[in-house]
Amino acid sequence: MSENWEPKIITFVCNWCTYAGADLAGTSRFKYAPNIRIIKTPCSGRIDPMFIVSAFEKGADAVLISGCHPGDCHYNEGNYNARRKFTMMKKLLETIGVDTQRVIFAWCSASEGIKFSRLVNDVTESIKKIGPYTEYHKLNQKER
Amino acid sequence: MQELINKAKELIENKEVDLLIGYQSDGEKGAKPLFVKNPLQAEQLIFNQYCLNNLVTYLMRPDVKACKKVAVVAKGCDIRALVMLLSENQMSREDVYIIGMTCDHVVSPDGTGENEKCATCKVHNPHLADIVLGSPVQEKYPKDKPVKHTQIEKLNAMSQEERWAFWQEEFSRCIRCYACRQACPLCYCERCIVDYNTPQWIDTRSNPRGNFAWNIVRALHLAGRCIDCGECERVCPANIPLMLLNQSLQEEAQEKFEWEAGYDPESEPPLTTFRKEDDEEFIR
Amino acid sequence: MARIGVFVCWCGSNIAETVDVSKVAEVSKSIPGVVYSVDYKYMCSDPGQELVKNAIKEHNLTGVVVASCSPRMHEKTFRKAASDAGLNPYMLEMANIREQCSWVHNDMDEGTQKSIDLVRMMVEKVKRNKPLEDISIPVTKKAMVIGGGVTGIQAALDIAAGGIPVVLVEKESSIGGKMSALDETFPTLDCSQCILTPKMVEVAQHPLVEIISYAEIEKLEGFIGNFKATIRKKARYVDVDACTGCGTCWQKCPVKVDSEFEQGLGKRKAIFIPFPQAIPSRPRIDAENCLKLTKDRCGICEKVCPTKAIHYDDKDEFIEVEVGAIVVATGYKIMPVSAFPEYGGGQYLDVVTSLQFERMVCASGPTLGDLKRPSDGKLPETVVFVKCVGSRDPEHHHSYCSKICCMYVAKQTMLYRHKVHHGNCYVFYIDVRSNGKNYEEFVRRAQEKEGAQYIRGRVSAIYKDGDDMVVEGADTLTNSQIKVKCDLVVLATAMEAPDGIKELAQKLGIGYDQHGFLTEAHPKLRPVETATAGIFLAGCALSPRDIPDSVSEGSGAAAKVMGLLSKDTLEKEGVVAIVNELTCVGCQNCIRVCPYNAIELKDICNRQGEVQRQVANVNPGLCTGCGTCTPSCPSRSIELLGFRDTELYAEINALAEL
Repeated sequence: MSENWEPKIITFVCNWCTYAGADLAGTSRFKYAPNIRIIKTPCSGRIDPMFIVSAFEKGADAVLISGCHPGDCHYNEGNYNARRKFTMMKKLLETIGVDTQRVIFAWCSASEGIKFSRLVNDVTESIKKIGPYTEYHKLNQKER
Repeated sequence: MQELINKAKELIENKEVDLLIGYQSDGEKGAKPLFVKNPLQAEQLIFNQYCLNNLVTYLMRPDVKACKKVAVVAKGCDIRALVMLLSENQMSREDVYIIGMTCDHVVSPDGTGENEKCATCKVHNPHLADIVLGSPVQEKYPKDKPVKHTQIEKLNAMSQEERWAFWQEEFSRCIRCYACRQACPLCYCERCIVDYNTPQWIDTRSNPRGNFAWNIVRALHLAGRCIDCGECERVCPANIPLMLLNQSLQEEAQEKFEWEAGYDPESEPPLTTFRKEDDEEFIR
Repeated sequence: MARIGVFVCWCGSNIAETVDVSKVAEVSKSIPGVVYSVDYKYMCSDPGQELVKNAIKEHNLTGVVVASCSPRMHEKTFRKAASDAGLNPYMLEMANIREQCSWVHNDMDEGTQKSIDLVRMMVEKVKRNKPLEDISIPVTKKAMVIGGGVTGIQAALDIAAGGIPVVLVEKESSIGGKMSALDETFPTLDCSQCILTPKMVEVAQHPLVEIISYAEIEKLEGFIGNFKATIRKKARYVDVDACTGCGTCWQKCPVKVDSEFEQGLGKRKAIFIPFPQAIPSRPRIDAENCLKLTKDRCGICEKVCPTKAIHYDDKDEFIEVEVGAIVVATGYKIMPVSAFPEYGGGQYLDVVTSLQFERMVCASGPTLGDLKRPSDGKLPETVVFVKCVGSRDPEHHHSYCSKICCMYVAKQTMLYRHKVHHGNCYVFYIDVRSNGKNYEEFVRRAQEKEGAQYIRGRVSAIYKDGDDMVVEGADTLTNSQIKVKCDLVVLATAMEAPDGIKELAQKLGIGYDQHGFLTEAHPKLRPVETATAGIFLAGCALSPRDIPDSVSEGSGAAAKVMGLLSKDTLEKEGVVAIVNELTCVGCQNCIRVCPYNAIELKDICNRQGEVQRQVANVNPGLCTGCGTCTPSCPSRSIELLGFRDTELYAEINALAEL
């Protein structure tokens, strides 16, 4: 791990709650670490658990997924569906031996600017401690 | 056995079915599929503890689907796959004649001893069939007891690093032959996700990255659907313990959603429904 | 060949303070596909937008990325600018380098690097974007209101006021709902019938409103702007056009049964109108109690009818109506006393519901307003009201609060005291919820001026002792047990969803909760809409509420209907799901997960018309673009346009270091 290493955290959010919450963090000037890169989807229901695998393959050290609180989904049910998918994916990743500290799920509403900034800071801090996800990144270099 | 042969002949002669899929002997201690189209072929039908194959897989093949009505010889575990196919609109109940066979156990793939899956079987007596042949078997696993597989306890006891090392070792042998996909009755997609290249989600090369991605995604697509027939593991030429992945998800579905696949054709798989009170301990 | 333009905004110093915008624009030039990249002080200004438009034209841009504020601010602005310049608006994306970058980071280097990454992600996405067209759906300019209570009546009047024809479907043989059964209403003590009947008459006479009474919804097909409803007009046995409402038939009818309108306290005939002011004022025959229809005897009404309007061979009739929007105002029912045997309900005649008490005090009631208790006709000198019966009781009945009982019990104490000046009335309560306009003052008036005596505590037992009723309960404010001897007990029983509401909701394709109350699209921001486009809700169908709120919602739902039907066609964003029929295997995952029932199975047939297989088919009119279907499909046969896999993958891939 080089001295200048910074965690790369790929973040998938829903447009109506978490993206808006992140915007609120911005308008309120709640500072947070610059390590996340947000990919916007209309709903947490659009987030495929397969994105987590892709993100690690592309060099992410952690993946953060956030959507609306249950009951508040702009599309009524998308996040309930997402919740079940994430439950299964988390178990699968645990069984496979993926470091699930690096996969974080959260509900963050449009009014929770401060939660968003704290979440990003906490996640960045903990990933900094455990270092880059070289075990997964190494898979790319090994040929059969 | 004779009962089975007679019934098969009857179905074929009366033109109730165009094709009957059953088992024939493969050596002294083996069985393999038999596709019966005339009464003479029916004479070769057998049923014993070597009948491992899940014949329901063949119901999804295009040439079988082209037949108007098909009969299939099926054990309770195989019928679970059929129940899933019914609930996923892949066939109508009228299109298949189920010859349910009572089954005490089948052998393990290497032929030694009882197959591990039989210890947790709840359907020694088929739960959905047009006719049930064979004498009733005592059900040993209580119907409402969640299925716990002893095989994955060892895996669960490992640390995360140990599990990662374990699977690196196992997947190093994966040659991406896709026999697992071929044998699985629930892998019936015309175009599999691994064949999808806009974008190429899963690296098709049999390198560690691709192998992890393939096995993760296949297990994910079977989440809540896998009926524990074990065919994938049986056919894997590299002896990868694939069922560990599927069983861990089966247990999760049972624990979190009180769901066991393949018993009720009216029910909907857990990832297509939800409850407001579903677990979200893991969500911040 | 992609030709992408990148426009990086300074936003004055908002972005430029923490992001080196010139560098971002410079670095972006080297992203494959970018042919034009500039920075500018204020992109959202007119000259800024001109910059985009000119660049699109001069450089033949196939896609644009504007790196500036949040798309929630200006995506519409820039997409319109792109559209004006001849570029499909969906070929423009924004990189959020203000709210999610410059405003939340301190370090110039970090902010700049992040902005470069964000721009690159959006360039990669926009390169894969497909041009999308907004979808045009035709609209039937007619509305249907289900439920003819005050809420439905209000909705119908407001919609008709806007020039839209309305079909008002009512389950009972008369409109009016519960409000027609009330005596006086809080907080004004207006006579309920007196304020309701003018509205009933207005809606009946309105040229644009057609009332279909004694009818229910049999089936609903279609979608927003294009519904087709099949309505079952139940057999009335009376020709409403020939009938003049003279009343001879019900005067002569020999059969007397309990009147539902009088809450079982009075009688009606087998041929009847529910109350004198009924609209339509045409009777119906109760087929279960009519002697002719059950035993082929009597037949007097047919003989005496001057216009030969009685037809014993009447059958249910089905009519089809095409409408563009629907308002559901199906109201409520209250729990009967028989649900509370622990309170003597069903056992003692003198334990009544609040609605029964309304009929007892009402001047048009079964005793013409002469307050007589049901068992022996004695004037009740002492009345006990018990609140929260069946409400706020998750162990035995309902967890929710029925909202109106605190107010109507205060009202009923006053109605009682106005009739029986020397009478005593007690109210057992847990709380007093009086939070509307003038509500608090109303309750205080009951307590302080009109002699209602409030006891804070729950009731443990109600029984008869000789001639008297006895109510035992707690008095928590004096910390004692209390026993009240009285003549009449009125239980404020819980409001519930009406019978058959779940079946109706399922026919309409709208949601309901575990209590049967219908579900709104968003409890705070979209209180009169459902998740199903084109179907709206109002009044107690949603949950217990009072007349002012219900009437407001009737008007609110009407406004929604008017907005919807004011256009000839509906435009919606082209961000909808589409199915690849070649690869779809019809497993129904997407159909099951879709929150809007926007996906159905479609038959794929051969040339002989034989069904070969079934695939999913999306109704773009119903699809709201959530994308939940996409990950549910293992073969990726269904995709959400605007957020396709290839577009999102491109964003992830843009960050690859490998």
